[in-house]
Formats: sequence, structure tokens, C-alpha cells
Amino acid sequence: MAEEKKLTFEEALEKLESIVSAIEEGKVPLEESIAKYAEGIQLVKQCRAILDDAEKKIQLLAKGEGGELTPAGELDEPEQ
Amino acid sequence: MSARRNPFFEFDPSKARGPRGGPDVGKDVTAEVAAAAGADGRAPLTVSALVGRIKDALAAEFPRRVAVVGELSNFKRHSSGHWYFRLKDAGASLDAVMFRSSAERVKFDPSDGLEVVAEGRVDVYDVRGQLQLYVERMTPKGAGALELAFRQLREKLQREGLFDPSAKRPIPQFPRAIGVVTSPTGAAVRDIRRTLRRRWPAATVYLMPSPVQGEGAAAQIAEAVRLLDAAAERLGIDTILVARGGGSLEDLWAFNEEAVARAVHAAATPIVSGVGHEVDTTICDLVADVRAATPTAAAELAVPDQAAVREMLSAAAGRLSRRVRQGVEAGRAALAGLCRSVVFRDPSARLRVQMQRVDELSHRMRGGLVGRVARGRRRLGPCESRLALLHPARLAERAAAAVDRLAGRLIWALGGRSKRAGDTLSRLAGRLLAGHPRGRLRLLRQQVESAGRQLEAMSYRSVLRRGFSVTRRAGGELVRSAEDVAVGDAVQTELADGSFRSRVEGPADGPPATRPTGKRKQRKQRKRPPDPGLTLFD
Repeated sequence: MAEEKKLTFEEALEKLESIVSAIEEGKVPLEESIAKYAEGIQLVKQCRAILDDAEKKIQLLAKGEGGELTPAGELDEPEQ
Repeated sequence: MSARRNPFFEFDPSKARGPRGGPDVGKDVTAEVAAAAGADGRAPLTVSALVGRIKDALAAEFPRRVAVVGELSNFKRHSSGHWYFRLKDAGASLDAVMFRSSAERVKFDPSDGLEVVAEGRVDVYDVRGQLQLYVERMTPKGAGALELAFRQLREKLQREGLFDPSAKRPIPQFPRAIGVVTSPTGAAVRDIRRTLRRRWPAATVYLMPSPVQGEGAAAQIAEAVRLLDAAAERLGIDTILVARGGGSLEDLWAFNEEAVARAVHAAATPIVSGVGHEVDTTICDLVADVRAATPTAAAELAVPDQAAVREMLSAAAGRLSRRVRQGVEAGRAALAGLCRSVVFRDPSARLRVQMQRVDELSHRMRGGLVGRVARGRRRLGPCESRLALLHPARLAERAAAAVDRLAGRLIWALGGRSKRAGDTLSRLAGRLLAGHPRGRLRLLRQQVESAGRQLEAMSYRSVLRRGFSVTRRAGGELVRSAEDVAVGDAVQTELADGSFRSRVEGPADGPPATRPTGKRKQRKQRKRPPDPGLTLFD
């Protein structure tokens, strides 16, 4: 599970697509397709979680001491 | 202002106006010159004085800057940064100089043959007495300087391949972090933030603030791009947006500068550019991997729409569920179909059928046996009664009765007529009595014995085929024991495929010896209990 968490959205989606097409092509035995179904639904949840885990702020970058860019606070919201 | 250090460039209108406005200035010189003057009675002027008076005259004629239209020729860039060239038209030419401070502000790239409008002051280069136009501003004739500059840079970069489609990197479909180069206070950052939040809030957004217009803006934008690109891997940035809201060509100019173009091109991270309004195209747009019309459009192109993606996820989940459910349903239906088959519905049916068949067969078999026995009995009955009639005693009785009857008839018929006839008759009667019924009985017995022998022979033939043999004495009696034969006896040995005769020489475990003939032996043998070897023939 810990490894699955590390999947990027793109990777999760790719995996999901391969599962869906494998099942749709009917190449997977029924028993396996049920296991893959569970995996696919898990991936859908994971993708949604990534979308829901939204960044609300814009990070302001500034040059640090070593000349490297580092986040230096959040951009003020002029509206709302 | 380095131009200020050039004494010839210094142009003080009050000073220039001096000789004309104040007659006392240079009066001594005039007198001296007048003293040395020739035929007209005026003293000759020094070169300096003449040039000075020419400069004065020019200044009087052209008190302010003049704008001159002409074609550039002999254009030379000096290492000092000054430009030297000639302006010419069909009938005349004029030397011109543009000092570095002014040249630096020229956006386009001047070259021979280009028609320009040069603005500056007309003056004489004292050292050479050379009339020159000291150009302070230069713009291309016709198009604006910025347009020309844009065109020139575009052509140059195009030649270098910076706009090649093959040089474009694809932007990730689902960016994880986006770096934005723009002004932190402009409309662009607001638009971008709103768009990214609406469409793809999953991405982290980093802002690298930079001025987007004015002196030095281009250099700062270029630096911001370089810094973001360098930090991209560390911060997880996979897409960079370079953006600025709408404005005049001058406002957007920083994005048309080579420095920005080079930085964008050099970046390893894919860059989406959205500068100005829809109608504006900047060099930055052209170099970027993805070109967007506006900052909002850039943000839209950089990320997918979460609504569409969520819909797609739901659709994928739906397809998965549907397909798997279909698979399960199909399996269930197939299973149900199998269960409906007779084998599963009534597993004992087959067994019952078989049992029934067994019963039927056994019944038939029993019926057949009984029938056959009954049939046999039916056939046996008459045979028995017929056989009873054929019993030898009955036959003999009947024969005797018949003989008596015949004899009686004969005696009655002949009436004892002849002794010889009577003798013959009694002889015949004797033969009849001796021969007929008893003779027939003997014959039957012989036949039975013969049949029994045949039966016996048949029963042991199979044993002979296994390699055993049967030895008989000359009389046909079986040799069952070594004692049944004596030396010299002839024996016959029967094998499966034939027989041979031989003579007894003696016991196999001793020398040949004379032994008595077997008649007594045979009698003796009959009294002995049956040999166990008989079992072979059972």
C-alpha cells in the first residue's frame, strides 16, 4: 500500500486504463478480473484523492542564501 | 553620457549664438584676420575661425534637432559601442555618428540599405571640418522600430531553429507543480491562479516574481526562467508558465527580447507562454513549447480540467464495474445452465437407468434360463418315455414275445409237419433269442464305452496342449504308475499333435531289468485307489 501511495496521478491513471482495457478485452479470467476490479476501484479512489488534496495557495519563491530558489511564503489573495 | 565628453558634440546654443549675437566676441581675431586679408581688404580667417563661423551658421539654420530620411550605408559598429554610417538618397549623402548611449536604445538591428529616419543635430566635426549628423534617435522608415526589431529577431532565431517544432518538449498531461514567471501584482497572476485552481487544484503553484515591463525586465524574466528551471527538479516543478497581461507593444517588449528567448529555449522544463492579448505574439510565445494567447489560456493549456478527469474516472469505474458484473453474471448464467442439466438436477438418474438395465438384463437372463430348462424338460419328457420303451429288458421281452408268437404261429401253421422244419425253427428261434435283444444291448454298451473314451480323450486334450503326454499300454489301459509296465512292454504315448509307440527298457533311475508281464499288474492296479494325477483330467 505504501508503494501505491507513491503513484503519481499519471501513473495511477495509466494503471487504471490498462486494467479497464484488459478487462474490457475479456482476456482476464473472471476470478482475476474481480481482483483487478478491486485494484481499479482503489486506483480511482487514489486519483480522486489526489484531486481533492488541492493546494489552495500559491507559493512565492525567492532566492535563498545559496542562490537557490526556496518557497518564501504565500502570495496574498487580493480577492475574497 | 559619454557623448558629453566629446567636445565636438557639445553644443551650447548660447555659445553658438555668440558670434552672431555678440559682435565683441572674436572681434580681435576678426581684426587680425582682416589685417592679413587679400584683395577684398579683409583679413584672412583662421581655419578654426572659419569652421567656427560655419558651425555658428549651421546652428542658426538648425537650432533644433532635425529628422532626416535616408538609406543607411557604410554602417560600422565600433568596439566602443558607437555607430558610424552614412545616410544617403539618390542625390546626396551625409556622414552620421550615433554614440553608444543613443545606440543602446535602438531596438532594431540597423544595417546597410535600410531606410531610416534619423533624428539629431547637424554639426561640423572640427578636426576634419566634416559635416555630420549627430544621431540621437533612429527608427526604421515605414514600420515601427519595434516591429522591425521583432521581425529581425524572429528571422534570426528562426534561422537558428529556436522555433522548430522538433525543439518543442511535450508538457506533462497531469502536472504536479507549476512554476510561474510573472509580476506578483499583475492581472496575469490573478488569472492564472483562478484558472489553475478551477481546473487542476492538485498541482502546487510556485510564483517566481519578476517585473514584466520596463528597463531590465527582459533580463530579469530570463533570470527567473533560468532559476525556476534549475530548481525544477528539487521542487518537483514539471511545467513553467511565462505570462503577462495585455498591453502596448512597448509594454510587452521584454518578451520580444533575445535574452528571454534564449532562456526559454535553454530551459529543460517545458514552458507554456501566454503574453498579452489574443492578437499579440511575442518572441517568447514562439520559442516556448506551448504558445497560448493569454495568461488564462496558458493556465488552461498547462493543466487538464479536473471536471473532465473526474468524469473520466467515474466512467472508468463504471466500465470496470459493468464489465466485471457482466463477467460474473455470465459465469452465473453458465453455472445455472449447467446446474439445470440432468446430471446435476438428478445425479442418480443415470444410475437408476443403469440399474434398471441391469434388472432388465437379469430378468431376461433368468427368463431365458427358465424357458430353456422348461423347453429342455418338455423335450426330455417324450424322450424318457421313448427311452423306457427302448430299455433292453423291454426290447428283449418284446422280442421274446414276438418270437414266441411267431413260433406259435409257425407251429400252428406247420402243425409239426416236419421234424426238420421244427429243428430249423428252434434253431432260428435260438438265434433270435441269443442274438437279438442281448446283442443289441451289447452293441449299445460298446457305443457308450466308445463315446466315454472319446469324452475322456477330449477332456485331456487341452492338457496335452500344455505339454503333458499320456502313455497307454498296448491294450489301451492308462499307464498311471511305473508299476503298470514291465520291461519289454509296448506302450503308446499320446501327445497333443500325435502319438508314438515305444517299448519299456526299464526304470529311468536304474538299469533295464526283466519284469513279469503286466496282466497281473493290471489286475493289481485296478484295486489301487485312484492316482492323484487324475486331477489333471478332471
